[in-house]
Amino acid sequence: MNQHVSIFAILFLIILSNVFDTINQLFLKTSVNSLNLNINSIRNVISFILKLILIPKVWVGFTFCTLSLLVWLFVLSKADLNYAFPVGSAHYIFIALGSRVFLKEKVGFKRWVGTIFIIAGIIMLTCSNY
Amino acid sequence: MYKNKLTLKIFFFIVSTDILETFTQYCFKRSAIPQGDVFIKNFLDVIIFLKPIVFSGFLWLGFLSVFVTFVIWSSILSKIDLSVAVPIASSSYILIPLVSIFFLGEVMSLLDWAGILFIVIGVVIVSSSIKKEKAIIP
Repeated sequence: MNQHVSIFAILFLIILSNVFDTINQLFLKTSVNSLNLNINSIRNVISFILKLILIPKVWVGFTFCTLSLLVWLFVLSKADLNYAFPVGSAHYIFIALGSRVFLKEKVGFKRWVGTIFIIAGIIMLTCSNY
Repeated sequence: MYKNKLTLKIFFFIVSTDILETFTQYCFKRSAIPQGDVFIKNFLDVIIFLKPIVFSGFLWLGFLSVFVTFVIWSSILSKIDLSVAVPIASSSYILIPLVSIFFLGEVMSLLDWAGILFIVIGVVIVSSSIKKEKAIIP
């Protein structure tokens, strides 16, 4: 771990990166909810793409996506991977909470259990490799 | 048209965005590798650093890959819940270790295998959570 940046600053930045990406996903999801895609002709796919890039919310999401990536790259340049990756998997919790609160998705017991299994798996994989 | 139904097709699309994302990272890395020994001290250095990258085909291949990934991911989100799509996309964590084992001959520890198993179980549970809701709503 780099001595110049405290572990709490890194923790904060990882969470910031996660929150930015969650905001991006929420914006994208609300934008495409109204679109209906049928992949049966190239014409339909092209009209889907055109509709997509004309939605302002998509671009707001894209900005947050870029911010999230920049913060994450900064984190990776300062912190060890075996710290950054397990903490970064908290992303799944933010997505589940965001979907529940802002999109009114039914995130039930089963979906939470599955998400926690995935987080546990990522922690195991990333802690043993480095 | 059913909304919110996880079909095998959607599952393969989600996995394909993971593969494309890996490909994107590979392209960006390849475009930047020749510039590894350039040190940036002032604005002129930035231009010296960026010039060969901009003219490298890999950068633009990377951008194309980002765009394709974005379109596929948007089309997935127009079909299923965000809280299902994102956990399923975690199968990318499994792809890289499996490729390392079968193509690069790397050896996995017991903890690695346990991690892969946990992710698979998690993906299966999250995927099945959507069917149960489907049965309740109508």
